[in-house]
Amino acid sequence: MNRPDGVADSGIKRLFRGQTAIDFYGHRRIGLIVAMVVLLVTAGSLSTRGLNLGLDFEGGDAWDVPASETFGVDEAADVLSDNGVSTTGARIQRRSSETADVITIQVEEVDRDVAVSITEGFAVAAGVTADEVSFSFTSSTWGSEITEKALRALIIFLIVVSVFISIRFEWRMAVAALTAMAHDVVVTVGVYSVFAFEVTPATVIAFLTILAYSLYDTIVVFDRVRENEGKYAGVRMPYEDVVNISMNQVLMRSINTSISSILPVISLLLVGSGLLGAVTLREFALALLVGMISGVYSSIFVATPLLATLKSNSGRKSRRDCLVGEDLRAAVIGAGVTGRVVSSASTDDEADEVLAGASSVVQPADRLLNHPPRPRKKKRR
Amino acid sequence: MNRRLWTSLISVVVIVVVALVANIATGNTPILGLDLQGGVSVILAPTEPASGDDLIVIRDLIRSELESRGIAEPDVRVQGDVIVVDLPGVKDQQEALDAVDVSGVVELRPVINFAECQTPDFSPATDLEDLLSPPQGVVPSDVPADSSTVPVDSTAEPAGFRSAAPDPADSVPADSVPAPSDTIAPEVDPTAVPLDETPPVFPGTPGAELLPTRDGQPLCVGPTQGTGEIFVRGSAELTGDSGWGVAVSLRSDGQGTWNNLANQCYNTTPTCPSTQPGVRGQIAIVLDSVIMSAPQVNQPNFTDSVAITGSFSRGEAEDLAAVLNRGAFPVEVEAQEARTVSASAGADSLEAAIIAGLLGVFLVLAFLIAYYRWLALVIVGGLVIWGMMVFSLASLVSGWTNYALSLAGVTGIIVAVGVTVDSYVVFFERIKDELRNGRTIKNAAPRSFKATWRTIWSADLISVIGALILFWLSVGSVRGFALYLGLTTICDLLVCYFFTRPAVLLLARSKLMAKRTRALGIEVAS
Repeated sequence: MNRPDGVADSGIKRLFRGQTAIDFYGHRRIGLIVAMVVLLVTAGSLSTRGLNLGLDFEGGDAWDVPASETFGVDEAADVLSDNGVSTTGARIQRRSSETADVITIQVEEVDRDVAVSITEGFAVAAGVTADEVSFSFTSSTWGSEITEKALRALIIFLIVVSVFISIRFEWRMAVAALTAMAHDVVVTVGVYSVFAFEVTPATVIAFLTILAYSLYDTIVVFDRVRENEGKYAGVRMPYEDVVNISMNQVLMRSINTSISSILPVISLLLVGSGLLGAVTLREFALALLVGMISGVYSSIFVATPLLATLKSNSGRKSRRDCLVGEDLRAAVIGAGVTGRVVSSASTDDEADEVLAGASSVVQPADRLLNHPPRPRKKKRR
Repeated sequence: MNRRLWTSLISVVVIVVVALVANIATGNTPILGLDLQGGVSVILAPTEPASGDDLIVIRDLIRSELESRGIAEPDVRVQGDVIVVDLPGVKDQQEALDAVDVSGVVELRPVINFAECQTPDFSPATDLEDLLSPPQGVVPSDVPADSSTVPVDSTAEPAGFRSAAPDPADSVPADSVPAPSDTIAPEVDPTAVPLDETPPVFPGTPGAELLPTRDGQPLCVGPTQGTGEIFVRGSAELTGDSGWGVAVSLRSDGQGTWNNLANQCYNTTPTCPSTQPGVRGQIAIVLDSVIMSAPQVNQPNFTDSVAITGSFSRGEAEDLAAVLNRGAFPVEVEAQEARTVSASAGADSLEAAIIAGLLGVFLVLAFLIAYYRWLALVIVGGLVIWGMMVFSLASLVSGWTNYALSLAGVTGIIVAVGVTVDSYVVFFERIKDELRNGRTIKNAAPRSFKATWRTIWSADLISVIGALILFWLSVGSVRGFALYLGLTTICDLLVCYFFTRPAVLLLARSKLMAKRTRALGIEVAS
């Protein structure tokens, strides 16, 4: 079933055992192309369709009225015109879940007295008491204040995070992580624009969650890269290889984490569409779902290739090609221990056996894993 | 070493359980946001920058206003630089909105001749009806009123201002040689304080407008010459020696403004003419464009305090005192956002969030147990501890900080389950890596923890930084979200270090696990 060197034959088993050898860096163009497409679609959609900004950003009055057979969109429009409110600027939507429907009516700001009589009008038309009609209003200044403050907070957050990553890791990682994050936001905004979902304060919160999640996910990957970087410092491993090895090592973790993060969001989505009053919950969950999938994708296909590109252009030049295929696999398997790579071969007997199994591999994995370390020199040649 | 691990493990479990039991025993549960329990929520923001003290004053005033209207348990809170009024389970939404929606600033305006306010759609006929019972003996002079029905001066003494004088020396108008700033306040120019609300403004007199009194009878008033701020906050009180009246203290820096206005009215200058024969000029006390009282001025200069007397009933006097106290609203506030959520919709949202949360956790646990087998027991235990910790902290924090647990907060917590589980995944994946490379589990566990702890705190710290900045800088529901994001992340860190670490290390050392790496869901290449 297994190959003599202990590497499983099926892809899934390799994944499970941490024996994958995917050349993430070599396929960096895929990530680049996808990112460009996403960017173009979002930019195109934003320029033609824009965002469907909710009441809270534009200011106005809104009602949620339980729908029934005798009360639908047309009846709601009638109530508005009875009260002398123009129906041209009004947005009337039917939002359905399995148990009940809600008619959402949004108009620009009207006088309080008019709003009261409209509320009563809806209640009468829908055959419910006035308490069952949810009314809300927002002044336009308030909406812009929320947006403005959220944006200011975001910018300061980005600056602080950049500084933090630069200190904790290095500035190139900060650039890569923030690019990946920007990618995720572009994806989510694009989805909102293309499908014309309403942007509400809840959506802003979903965006912020996505930002935090995307950064979190990227940091976990980068931490492994940095650890491996130190591990391979003695053998002058090209940075692209370090990135590839790290990515393969954390692949299973990324998949597991994604599954366990996305499962609750999916349950929000399912339950939210099944219960009345949770319509906003469903839209919120949708934004999160898109953002989280994008976050996992971007930390693998955007952040790390970008990091490798930044690093390889800036530092140690390597004359040989990157590790691919079985060479990469051997490095991935062999490097999964703590401590420096060079010491693991000599101290750990069992690890030696595993590595010996993989020693059909020629240079350079063989060299770097089985030979005693070359003493580090103070100056490069 | 083992003992320390046991101590850590047991103490964290005990602390969390005790905290939870204590919270439940004292009935301390997280305060639910309006979107989860239904009700009315209004956000009021000052129209100009206000200090924290100002906001607290306004908060208390609004709270007492709501209580006086019989709205039970109004939840009025200062959040940053806005005031949030949450009225859970209110039946009459409209009344609640009315009660909350106040600008709250009392204006002092001279009463002027009716003609100044003549507007095209004004119909004297209907107002004549109102004039049959004018309040406080105040009647606009040029309205063709049936004089016999107007009870001027005969039975009811017209309301008037006098110095409220416990000390006789103060009550003599001429007793003090007033400092120049006392008699005329040069900074107060009647025309320089235009009023920019309410449409009917007569072009002849800038700022003049027709405002209703509480009885519905309109009076014509000139531009605002002062606000309720000239009174000492909360100083208005009932006086009862000769009929009901109200005494209110003047602030030392408000005396100039007041005396300036009082002088005009006492001397019946054109800016505050006599609108009725035999009566001096009147000052209208206006709240939210309604004239609460329009007493005539009986002396030109006031020191320290003002007494308003007249044919008040006790209730009227109390209302006026309340208005004057409330007039001490330091700044004007305006409703920025109002939301009503019907109780059924709120309950549905809460139910949906709870079901979704439980279902999500269940799915995650099922997946992790299938994947990590026995090791997943640590995750189950850790998540239970984490959940209890979050519940206890949410109960405490929502009580302390005024941030109720809203739908956004609940979804934030559900999402946080994923991030929390990630700590375990990172840790366990590392253990598997080490095992694959031939370490014993006893050896692998502490090494893995050391390596992963660094990763976990770096990543979590970014979430906490984000939460702090958002909390600090944003408004409204985003703040509540940030609070719960930070809270859950900190809980994750605590649980990871004080529960997961000892649990896994002890498990790794036990004889039970020594030979059973397969039971951990780890398949070592053989």
